[in-house]
Amino acid sequence: MEKITDYKYALDESSIVAITDQKGIIKYVNDNFCNISKYTAKELIGQDHRIINSGYHPKEFIKELWTTIANGKVWKGELKNKAKDGTVYWVDTTIVPFLDMDHKPYQYVAIRSDITDRKKSEEELKKTLKEISDYKYALDESAIMAITDQKGIITHVNDNFCKISKYSNKELIGQDHRIINSGHHPKEFIKELWATIANGKVWKGELKNKAKDGSVYWVDTTIVPFLNSIGKPYQYVAIRSDITERKKGEDQIKKSNEKAIEHAHILQLKNLQLVDFCNIVSHNLRAPLINISMLVDYIEQSSDEAEQKEVLAKIKPVVNHLMEVFNELVESIQIKQDIEIKSDQVILKDCLEKILIGFETQIKEYGADIQLNFDKTDIIYFPQQYLESILTNLISNALKYKSPNRKPIITIKTKKEVNNRILLSVTDNGLGIDLVLHKDQIFKIRKTFHKHPDAKGFGLFMTKTQVEAKDGKIWVESEPEKGTTFFIEFKNQNI
Amino acid sequence: MSPIKTLTLVDDDDVFVFLTKKAIEQTKLVDLIKVFENGLDALNFLKENKNNVDVLPEIILLDLSMPIMNGWQFLEEYTKLNPTIGKKISIYICSSSISPDDVTRAKTISEVSDYIIKPITKDKLIDLIKKL
Repeated sequence: MEKITDYKYALDESSIVAITDQKGIIKYVNDNFCNISKYTAKELIGQDHRIINSGYHPKEFIKELWTTIANGKVWKGELKNKAKDGTVYWVDTTIVPFLDMDHKPYQYVAIRSDITDRKKSEEELKKTLKEISDYKYALDESAIMAITDQKGIITHVNDNFCKISKYSNKELIGQDHRIINSGHHPKEFIKELWATIANGKVWKGELKNKAKDGSVYWVDTTIVPFLNSIGKPYQYVAIRSDITERKKGEDQIKKSNEKAIEHAHILQLKNLQLVDFCNIVSHNLRAPLINISMLVDYIEQSSDEAEQKEVLAKIKPVVNHLMEVFNELVESIQIKQDIEIKSDQVILKDCLEKILIGFETQIKEYGADIQLNFDKTDIIYFPQQYLESILTNLISNALKYKSPNRKPIITIKTKKEVNNRILLSVTDNGLGIDLVLHKDQIFKIRKTFHKHPDAKGFGLFMTKTQVEAKDGKIWVESEPEKGTTFFIEFKNQNI
Repeated sequence: MSPIKTLTLVDDDDVFVFLTKKAIEQTKLVDLIKVFENGLDALNFLKENKNNVDVLPEIILLDLSMPIMNGWQFLEEYTKLNPTIGKKISIYICSSSISPDDVTRAKTISEVSDYIIKPITKDKLIDLIKKL
């Protein structure tokens, strides 16, 4: 008997205990019951047990409870009850029916424990879970989603992913994520992506992927690594949006920008050429005309026959000069107009051999050393006639303006450049040109930089015109008393 | 004695020099006509004689298009040299160029008195000598 009292004491201390009669009228409550329900024992004893009913559970649930215990069986379950002040609490409940001789319950002992906190967190968890699934739904609807494991094997894709990649769900799950790799991005770029996410960091960027049918698409991509308890990624969630159209637009804008810049460049060049041409007409054609007109005026005004004759003799050379300049101009205009001229495949060695024959006497006389270095490339695509003229002019200049102090050494070299270009250089050890003084003048018509009886100032003007006829570029580096190098860049070479 | 002692022509055009010399001689206003066929020769002469007032010209007729050193390059160097020269020299650009660019450019150089477009007439020559 004492033992039973001990048990009852233990139970009272640990649990919420209530006893009702077979009709549910409360006969006994312990302190724990009073504490949680906020009623006093006095207020409870004699009351129907429903006093703490919260109304939360459906009728069927309550009915099943009563049926169980009325049949003499123990009922276990979780109940939500209502305290006196209207607050609710959850209790884990065991109801034990005490049976009389006829095996009918004459009272029910309810033993409860407070599980309100646990229930609260359970409810919160449920809410959070719902929120998460809502998020997932929203993402699935709006974005292109894929999940891979830490090795990049696809474990989940959504419908949008299938739609854009043109693979079915079945074809993707279990595959390496590289199945949609377009090969567009350099290795370093992909490496950097993996390094980022493997380190547990979010990666954002734009990726070009390849669909099943080989077509490509651009996606704005965010890859979020999911980390395990030790901070290592166990899966990657990739959220993408289709930016193919935007990329296309960007590409187009870039292309048309490049074109516009190129056109502006060409226009600028043409404008410069036009200004040059105006200057030529204004300076070089007008000057001899004025000479003729002044000479004629003088003859008219003079009454001295000898003087008239003297002055008359001066007209002829001026007319010849005018004719010469005029012909040069016409020639240069013809080159500028002949933009359709075809490029030939010129073998430099053969071309130069032919040219050098023309300089044989001079080369021998000066003891000149001509060095050819075409290891890099021996072939230039350019109109043969122009290239011959260009090389002839440059070699002729190198010999004409040799230094009196040393034997001429002329080096002709080629070099491959990026963008399908070849750089040809002609270097001499001659007089050199004072570029500080003459930098703007070098390639202009009728400009000379040394006193030389054969210096006419036409060769370089013509050379530049011929180089530019095929979009080439010519420039010069020089130092007085050291020598000069002319560089020509040929575009659109079939390297 | 003539109104001015020395007039200098800086021009590589033989015919122009020949005719202008003749025209100036006929005015009898100038004692000596000195000719340089490019800017560098003229500049070197001025440098060597910057304190020798007697041989420095009162007037320079300067062509623009010349070999070795053209008129613009000459003016650039002359502008630097000018403060050390012991005489006021009037420089007239005398060019066949009718390009407005050249005319505008000449106006920005304070050392240039005027821009004369060739041909230059005898009357114009008399005018600018007498204006001095």
